[in-house]
Amino acid sequence: MNTLRHLARYALAAAAIGAPLAWALPAHAANGPVYQTSRHNAGTPNSDVVTKKNGQITSYGDSAITYNVPSPALAALGQALYLQNCASCHGTEANGVPAAGTTGAFPNLVGLGPATIDFWIESGRMPAADPRAVQAPRRLPRLTHDQALAIAAWINSLSPSYPAIPTVNVKSANVAQGAALFALNCAACHTIEGDGDALARSTFAPSLRNIPATQVAEAIRTGPGNMPRFTGNLSDYQVADIVKYVTTEIQHPRNPGGLGLGGLGPVAEGFVALLVGVAVLALVGFWVGERQ
Amino acid sequence: MSDHEHRTPVSLSGLAADDPHLAPAARNPLLVERVIALSLLLGLVLVVGFGVAYWMNAAPWTLGATMGGGLFFLGTGLVAWGKYLMPKGPFVEERHRLANSEADRDAFAAAIVERGGSVVKRRKVLGGLLGGGLGAFGVVALFPLLRSLGPLPKGTLFHTDWRAGSYAVDQTGRRVHVDDLAVGSIVTVFPEGTENTDRGQAVDQTVLIRISNQNYVTQKGRESWGPMGYIAYSKLCTHLGCPVGLYEQQLQLLVCPCHQSMFNVTNGAIPNFGPAPRPLPQLPLYVDAMGYIRSQSDYHEPVGPGFWERS
Amino acid sequence: MSDTITKRQRQRAGGRYGAVGRALGELDDRLGVARGGRTFLDKIFPDHWSFMLGEIALYSFVILLATGVFLSLYYVPSSTIVTYHGSYLPLDGMPMTQAYQSSVNLSFAVRAGLLMRQMHHWAADIFIGSMVVHMARVFFTGAFRKPRELNWTIGVTLLTLAIVNGFLGYSLPDDLVSGTGIRIAYSIILSVPLVGTYLAFWVFGGNYPGTVILQRFFILHVLVVPGIMLALVTFHLILLVRQKHTQFPGEGRTEDNVVGSPMFPVFMAKTTGFLFIVAGVTAAMGAFFQINPIWQFGPYDAARISYAVQPDWYMGFLDGALRIFPAWQFHGFGHTIPLEVTIPAVIFPGLVFGLAYAWPALERRVTGDHAMHNLLDRPSDRPKRTAAGVAVLALISMLFIASSTDVIANYFKVSLNTVLWTMRILVLISPFVAYPIAYKIAKELHETKGGGRRKVTNVVTRTESGEYVAVPAPAYVDDVREELEPTPVPVFIEETEPTGEDDASGGVRVVERD
Repeated sequence: MNTLRHLARYALAAAAIGAPLAWALPAHAANGPVYQTSRHNAGTPNSDVVTKKNGQITSYGDSAITYNVPSPALAALGQALYLQNCASCHGTEANGVPAAGTTGAFPNLVGLGPATIDFWIESGRMPAADPRAVQAPRRLPRLTHDQALAIAAWINSLSPSYPAIPTVNVKSANVAQGAALFALNCAACHTIEGDGDALARSTFAPSLRNIPATQVAEAIRTGPGNMPRFTGNLSDYQVADIVKYVTTEIQHPRNPGGLGLGGLGPVAEGFVALLVGVAVLALVGFWVGERQ
Repeated sequence: MSDHEHRTPVSLSGLAADDPHLAPAARNPLLVERVIALSLLLGLVLVVGFGVAYWMNAAPWTLGATMGGGLFFLGTGLVAWGKYLMPKGPFVEERHRLANSEADRDAFAAAIVERGGSVVKRRKVLGGLLGGGLGAFGVVALFPLLRSLGPLPKGTLFHTDWRAGSYAVDQTGRRVHVDDLAVGSIVTVFPEGTENTDRGQAVDQTVLIRISNQNYVTQKGRESWGPMGYIAYSKLCTHLGCPVGLYEQQLQLLVCPCHQSMFNVTNGAIPNFGPAPRPLPQLPLYVDAMGYIRSQSDYHEPVGPGFWERS
Repeated sequence: MSDTITKRQRQRAGGRYGAVGRALGELDDRLGVARGGRTFLDKIFPDHWSFMLGEIALYSFVILLATGVFLSLYYVPSSTIVTYHGSYLPLDGMPMTQAYQSSVNLSFAVRAGLLMRQMHHWAADIFIGSMVVHMARVFFTGAFRKPRELNWTIGVTLLTLAIVNGFLGYSLPDDLVSGTGIRIAYSIILSVPLVGTYLAFWVFGGNYPGTVILQRFFILHVLVVPGIMLALVTFHLILLVRQKHTQFPGEGRTEDNVVGSPMFPVFMAKTTGFLFIVAGVTAAMGAFFQINPIWQFGPYDAARISYAVQPDWYMGFLDGALRIFPAWQFHGFGHTIPLEVTIPAVIFPGLVFGLAYAWPALERRVTGDHAMHNLLDRPSDRPKRTAAGVAVLALISMLFIASSTDVIANYFKVSLNTVLWTMRILVLISPFVAYPIAYKIAKELHETKGGGRRKVTNVVTRTESGEYVAVPAPAYVDDVREELEPTPVPVFIEETEPTGEDDASGGVRVVERD
């Protein structure tokens, strides 16, 4: 009903003003979806408010991210889980020296900080499917969230360290700032659309399409694998901005222009242009012409 | 149009109205006519729908679908009309020799050679002067045409804005302090004051990597360049100048995202894979009394891709 | 001149055909178009479907001009930095050039702007794609031979200009991806020995990035290059009319005639309909497939970069060549020649297009064939030419694939280094593998009688005595296509006074025009 009324009104307007004029007039109206985000003044990083402990940053002096150390009460459970799932490679002391009979060097986990332990377990990379793989791929986690926290608690109890597990306050973060920071710091590996790509030798920058906020923040702060760490050069506000951009625009692109074509950019576009555009038109041409 | 007079007139046959050449190609013209009508009607409806969608400020895909569909069905109807309902032929057209007779050609050539020759031969000086003048104009005109386009390169490709004592600042203009980066961290830095200029971003951009907690030596002769494990390389790829922003901290490689040249960070950024022929130039650093990262001097060689004047 | 004469002249000048006849008469009085016009309407177009490939290119060009004019009304070719406060909030407050801001605005704030932008980009991709296919058709059928070498040359020039203009247009939005492309173009110009730095400084008005490059690219993209292309397209078509079409050999088809449908009305209906279809498909692609989402890429900043950045597909072979070429620089006598750039990005494309330009002359020289050719070859008729064309296409295709080594490595989860080495080998061997295969196939097809035709079914029956007899089956209705003897386009001239209504039986008689 409303639609009809609108139509009628448009028809009247067209009749009154004259179609060509009216055609030109509404051209300034906003088109497509309306984009919304909350705004605030992103804090600029300031080394003075950074709190350090044993040379490690424990807080960036702002409230965009809360870092939580897992409860020491979980440590006993954590040790049991650790021995069951991790010790065969990382050793019973978590120092990277495996049990007798195993060869090869594995990372020392002592002093890595709960965020690192949590990231590797909760992203399903650990326990590793293939310990010899150049890079452990992301997969469904083998251990639950609570189990991961417990293991992190036990390893942390061996030598308390940072960063602790971040909880990102994305509500007050600024998507536009996040986009700019993402382009400067992340896109070189993960691509500007967040799809990831192959890096040197057999390493890969993983896709960011399906990664929870906490893990994004953990990865930024701890630099898992070949990824560089972003510490004093990004404030918590800035990390929160990036996390918000990743969890909104990267993971849920609005694609106002149609199908997103897998974010592969001009390669996918070229295939569509040739295999859909040119091919369909050539087929139509095949019909228009004769086979002789 | 006068050549029509000399051409053999086009011979055209007459055809009886019931000649099979004039019959429609379709076996069942009535059915085809209906299908065409349907296609054209669909096209008409969709084109009107495009107008409505435009008035209602619909999403781009609605606009495109109605306009595209409308044009497609109008086109399909029109093609089918031509293909199935119009005279099926086949028709033939004679092809005529484009070349003229020997006599015509000779006359043409003679006009140019004889007339031209007679004029130029008699007035050699005039011809020479005119030719010289025009030729000189061609050469002279080239200078302002090209030269006005831009300045000469001179020495600009050999230097950046890094000076002795320049503070390394990130893109927000914040000075980088020795405590800022953990081992394995990377940040893009500029000499203070250029972080927001085009030239700063295009030429001076530098990657600052913390590779260890001790002074780090990437090559002989660069013993003092990596204080406290901070090392800096030009961010411009020596292949085509893309920003080499891709740092793999375990492999210790800087990779160019454009053409995948790989530079060995621990060994003076010597390329070990891909098309880049030269190492990334390294910027000598020092940590000042306040703990800020500063440059000892400019780069010791031109940054970025190769060019002729580069020695 | 008295009034009566004028009236009589008017009567004579087509008075029998009503308003149209009178209008044409007036036109003919002034321009003398009747005879040429009639010849033009009778012009015969071959019906073979492969002749439609060039029309895809022609109509994509029309769409490019139309949508391009729309875009040029909103785009601002300026490097001035502004702060964005438009309707796309993820970019809110970001500093950017006016060029990028206007590109985002014309996508989101201008009604149907995004559709027009996407149509323009898809049309460009299709334009060049169909040009390549059209060129392949002309090449493999030998349509470039005497007397059509000039038109082949124009076609190669058009393809070159289209690729250049595609790159220029790709650069205009000044987003992160296109900015990287400009950066690479600058470095390629810089790599030219002796004059590279001067050329680069002249093109960019100084050291990279300068402030003038967008306005220079803009005027080249919207005026200079398309202007030249429009002139060349026109000339391309004029030559086509003047020299008449080629045609495949067949019944009634000779070197001295053209068989097909007349310009009016059959061809005109088909081709106009095809224009609408090309426009329709382009619009549908603009509607449903997102292309070049510049708002996701963000504004260009020389220090930022995205991985997996490729140029549009038609530049892909250059990017691939740059990727796989080894790191060979010449260094000596106080100078550097960046061969790793100059060879793949300057010399190699020069050779490819040079070969395309020179091919008709080369073939004439090798075969010694200086005759006029209006009848086409089938690709199998000339195995060597076909194989050479396939070899070059194979090389270019492998280079195109080499431009996405990272995508391949990521997709198949193999080492990037391995993929690159594999592509280096594949690119090198591809022409040498493609040539003999194509040659063999063409040769055997050529030697096979009736190749490509529908085979007649044989029915094998067993007689009572146990003998097997093969008899050709009776043809299906569809198997036999009745092909009439080609006839010239008929002329109807009414001998009697027109009755004013269609009168096919009595008044109209068909006569020959002398």
